[in-house]
Amino acid sequence: MLFLLRCTAKAVHRGGSGISHLAFRGEEHHMDKTMKNKTAIILFLLPACILFIGIIIIPIFMSGYYSLLEWDGITASTFVGFDNYIEMFTKKSIGFPGAVKNAFLFAGLSVFIQLPISLGLALALAKGIRGEKIFTAIFFIPVIISTTVIGQLWLKIYNPTYGIVNMALRAVGLDSMATTWLGEEKTALIAVFIPILWQYVGYHMLLMYTGIKSQSTELREAAMIDGANEWQIARHLTIPLLKPVLTVCVIFSITGSLKVFDLIYVLTNGGPAHASEVPATIMIKQLFGRNNYGVGSAIAMFIVFICFFFAILIKKTFRTEVDE
Amino acid sequence: MIISFILIFWSLVQLFPLYWMLTFSLKENAEIFGDNVIGLPHKWLWSNYTTALQSGNMFKYLMNSAIVTGATIVITVIAATAATYALTRMVWKGRKTATSVFMLGITIPINAVILPVFLILSKLDITNSYWALIIPYSAFALSMAIMISASFMQGIPRELEEAACLDGCNIYGIFWNVILPLMRPALATLSIFIFLQAWNELMYAVIFISESKYRTITVGIQELSGSFTTDWGPIGAALVVATFPVLLIYAFFSQRIQGSLVAGAVKG
Amino acid sequence: MKKFNNMKRLLSVLLAAGMLTSLAACTGTAKTTEATTKADTAAATTTAAPEATEADETAAQEDITLTMWSIATESDSFNAAYTQAIADYETAHPGITIVHETFENESYKTKIKSAVAANELPDIFYTWGGGFSKSFVESGKVFAIDEYYTDEYKAQLSAAALGNATYDGKLYGVTYTTPISLLFYNKTMFEELGLTAPTTFDELKAVCQTFLDNDITPFGISVKDTWVTAMCHDALTLKSAGPDQVKNVLTKTEGSYNSADFLNADTKFMELVDMGAFIDGATGLSNDEASALFYDGTVPMYITGSWMGGSIMSDAADPTDFDCAPIPVLNDATAKITDFMGGAADTLMVAESSPNKEAAAQAIFEISKSISMYAYLAGSGIPAWKVDYDDSAVNAITAKEAELAGNATSFTLWFDTLMEADDAGEYLALLQELYVGNISPDEFTASMAEQLEG
Repeated sequence: MLFLLRCTAKAVHRGGSGISHLAFRGEEHHMDKTMKNKTAIILFLLPACILFIGIIIIPIFMSGYYSLLEWDGITASTFVGFDNYIEMFTKKSIGFPGAVKNAFLFAGLSVFIQLPISLGLALALAKGIRGEKIFTAIFFIPVIISTTVIGQLWLKIYNPTYGIVNMALRAVGLDSMATTWLGEEKTALIAVFIPILWQYVGYHMLLMYTGIKSQSTELREAAMIDGANEWQIARHLTIPLLKPVLTVCVIFSITGSLKVFDLIYVLTNGGPAHASEVPATIMIKQLFGRNNYGVGSAIAMFIVFICFFFAILIKKTFRTEVDE
Repeated sequence: MIISFILIFWSLVQLFPLYWMLTFSLKENAEIFGDNVIGLPHKWLWSNYTTALQSGNMFKYLMNSAIVTGATIVITVIAATAATYALTRMVWKGRKTATSVFMLGITIPINAVILPVFLILSKLDITNSYWALIIPYSAFALSMAIMISASFMQGIPRELEEAACLDGCNIYGIFWNVILPLMRPALATLSIFIFLQAWNELMYAVIFISESKYRTITVGIQELSGSFTTDWGPIGAALVVATFPVLLIYAFFSQRIQGSLVAGAVKG
Repeated sequence: MKKFNNMKRLLSVLLAAGMLTSLAACTGTAKTTEATTKADTAAATTTAAPEATEADETAAQEDITLTMWSIATESDSFNAAYTQAIADYETAHPGITIVHETFENESYKTKIKSAVAANELPDIFYTWGGGFSKSFVESGKVFAIDEYYTDEYKAQLSAAALGNATYDGKLYGVTYTTPISLLFYNKTMFEELGLTAPTTFDELKAVCQTFLDNDITPFGISVKDTWVTAMCHDALTLKSAGPDQVKNVLTKTEGSYNSADFLNADTKFMELVDMGAFIDGATGLSNDEASALFYDGTVPMYITGSWMGGSIMSDAADPTDFDCAPIPVLNDATAKITDFMGGAADTLMVAESSPNKEAAAQAIFEISKSISMYAYLAGSGIPAWKVDYDDSAVNAITAKEAELAGNATSFTLWFDTLMEADDAGEYLALLQELYVGNISPDEFTASMAEQLEG
C-alpha cells in the first residue's frame, strides 16, 4: 500500500503517468497490441456509451430539434427555424439577457469570492491544526443537506420582520438598512447568491484541502528551513502545485453557476420582476409554466453550449504538463 | 489564535442549518412563522414525527431512495471506470474527441431534457419502476464520474500494467487485477458525489414515477405540502429522517473519502 | 490499519451485494405486478358479469381496477373527502377497485402535462378546467363524457357549473366544488374601529385609510406567490369590467384589454398599493407567511379563495374573529356585488387511452357527488352539487361562503386558469412589474392587449 502511494506521488511529481520504460521491443509490441484490443475497447466503452447516447446525446438532439419549433409539448407543432433563439434575446418580457448577465455575475462571484474563501479555509486546515478532521467534516455538512431545508432556512433568515439579518441590523441601530432582502429588486440578486455561495464553500474546500494534503512535505520543509514564512510558502509553493485541483474547482464552479436553479427557485423564483432571474429559472418557466417548448429548449441549448465552451476554455487555459 | 476563532465561528455557521432543521421539526406552524423562529421549541411536538412517518409512508420512500441511489452508484461506477480505462489507457483513434463528448454531461441542466427522456423511457415501457430513475441518474452522473476516475487513473503507473502484461494477463485481466483494486479509494469519492446527486433529485422522481410504492423520499417530503397551506413541522420531521442516514454514512466514510480524495483530485 | 481496511472492504461488498439482490428482487416484483395488472384489465374486458347486485345498468360486475391521480395529498383539506368518496363507490360497486395516487400541487402541473405528452395517463386524473386543459382536449387525449351526464345528474349539477369543463360544446370533465374569491376580514378588528365590510371601492379605500390612521396595515398579500396578488387584481378587474367583458377579452373572443374598464381597475389597484394598503415586504413573503400575518391579527384583511375558510378554522387562534364578504364593486354599470371570481376549476377527467374509460366515466360522476358532499360537511369547500342532505353541522364561515356562492349571478374563472398557459404566465409576470412600480397601469393594459392579440 505504501509502495503504491509512493509510486503515485512520484507520478504526480513527474507530472505524467509515467513513460514506459520497457527494455525490449518485443514486449513493447505485445503491450501495444493489448492496449489496442478492439473488442476490449468496445466492451469497456459499451455500458457507458449506451447510457450516454440514450439519455444524454439523443435527448440533446431532440431538444435541439424542439428548439426550432413552436410547440406546447402536447398538440401539433410548427417549424419556425431560429425564431425562438431570436425571440429569446429580443422579447423583453422573457427577461433572458438580464438572466444571462446574472448568471455570469454569479460565476464571477463564485470564482473570485467563494473559491478564495474555500482556499483560505483549506490552507488553514491543512497546516495541521487540532480538530482538523472534525472541522473538515463539519464544513462539508451544508453540501449534504437538501435544498428544501437551506431554502426554507434562508427564507426565514431574510424575513423582513423576524429574520436574523434585520433583527441584527435593528439591534445595532441600523434600522434604515433593514429591508425586504428577497423582495427588493436591488437586493434580491445578491440575497439569493449568498446562500448558494455559502453552501458550496465546503465542497470546494474539501477538494482543495485534500489536494494540499497530497503535496509532498519535503519541499515545504525545505522552504521553511530557508526561512520562508507561511504566507510565502502558500503563495509560491502550495498554490502553484495546487493548479490541477484549482482547475477542477473553477470548471465546476462556473458550469454550476451557469446552470444554477434549485435554491433560486425556492427563494424568489427569479423575482421580483426578473431581478434575480437566471437562465435556468426562465427555462423552467417557459417549458412547464408557459408551455413554450420551443423557447424553453432554445434556452436549454444555449446553456449547454455556453457551459461546454467555458469548460473547454478553462481546460485549455489551465493546461499543465498533464494532458491525457 | 485568530485562525482558530475563524474556524470555530465558521463551524457554527455551517452547523446552524442542522440545528434549525431539528428545532423546527418539533414546532407547529405558529411558532415557525411568528413567535419563535430560532429558539428551542416551546411546545415539543413529537407528534410531527408520527405524522411524517405514518401518513407519509416515510420508511418505504427511504427504502426506495436507497435502492435507486444504490443501484445508480453501482452501475455508474462500473460503466465509468470501464469507460475511463478505455479512454485514458487504451489506444485508438478518436479517443480525444470521445473524452470531450463525455464532458457534455456536466453542461446539461438536467431538467431541460425531461420530456425527451420521458418519451424514451415511455417507449421502452420502463416508467413507473426503479429503472425509470436509475437509468437517467446513472447517465447524468457518468460525466462527473469519468472526469474523477480519469484523474485518478492517470496516477497509476504504467509499469504495473506492463508487469501484468509480462505475466501473461490479457487486457481484461489487467483491468480486473491491477487497475480496479488500485481504484478502490476513488470509488469512495465517486460514490459520495453520485450519492449526493441521486438522493436529492426531485423533478425526475416526480414525473417518471406515479405509483407510490416506487416513490422516493424527496417526492414523499414534497407531498407533505398541501395545496394552499403547508404544515412545516412534519416536513421538518421528514427531512430529519431523510438527512440523518446521509450524515451517518458520510461520517462513517469521511475518513476513506479524505484519503481517496487525495489522489483523486490531484489530476485535473 | 489492515484490519480496519478489511472491515470496510467487507462492509462495502455486503452493502453492494445487498443492494444488488434487493434490486433484482424489486425488478422482479415490478415486472410481475405490471403483468398482473395488465392481465386483470385484459380479463375485465372479456369476462362476463358473475353475480347480480342492486340496480346497476353498467357492466360494473366485472373486476376492474381504475387508477386515479389527484392533488388531494394527506395534508390537503380535500383528502378525507376523496378517501370517503372512493370508499363509498367501491362499496356500492363491488368488483371495481380504485387506486388513488396523490401528488403535490405545483409539481403535479408539470407531471400531468408530461403524462399527456408521453401518453402515460391513468384512467382518471385531476386537472384544472379552462385554459389549463385546453391543449389536453385538443390533442384528443381526453374522453368526452356527454352521454354519461344523465338527467339525474343534470338535476343535481348544473351545466353552468360544468362550463369550464366544456370545450367546443362537448363535456370532458366533472367538478365537485366551486370556490370563490372573497374578502376575508377580521371582524373584531373592524368592530374596534367601528367599521363594516365595504361594498364599493370608495368604502374600501375609506376602510383602508382608517386602518392606516391607526397604524395598522390593511391588507396581507403575497407578491412572491404571484397568484395571491392575481386574486386581488382579478377581483378588482371583474368588479370594474363585469363578467362578460372579462371572459370575452381573456378568451380572445371579442374586445381588447386595452380599454377603459380594465385600465380603471389597474389604476385603482395601484392607488391601494401606493397608499400603503398592502403589507410591507410582500414581494419577499410566501402565501404561508402572509396568511400567518392575517391569522395572528397583524393585518385585518386578506383577499383569496374560499379555501381560506377552512384554514381559519385550523390555524387561527379564535375563528369567531373572522368573517368573509364579497369583493367591493368598482363600476356598478357593469358589475354587481353578486358577481364572483371563481367557479369550478377542480376537474376530474378520463383519459381516452384508458382501457376502462366507460367505467371510469361512470365513476367520476358518482365520486364527484360524494366529494362535494363530504368536503362541504368538513368545511373544506363550497359544494358544486345540490345539497340535499343535512348541512347544519357545517362551520359558520363555510356556510356563509356556500350561501354567497348559491346566490351568485355569475362566476368568472381566475385569470391564470382561464387564459392559456402562455398568456397566464405573461399576466403574472406583468402583474409583478406593475406592483413594484416598474410599469404604469397604462403600460400594463397595453402589454396585456399585445400579449392577447399577438
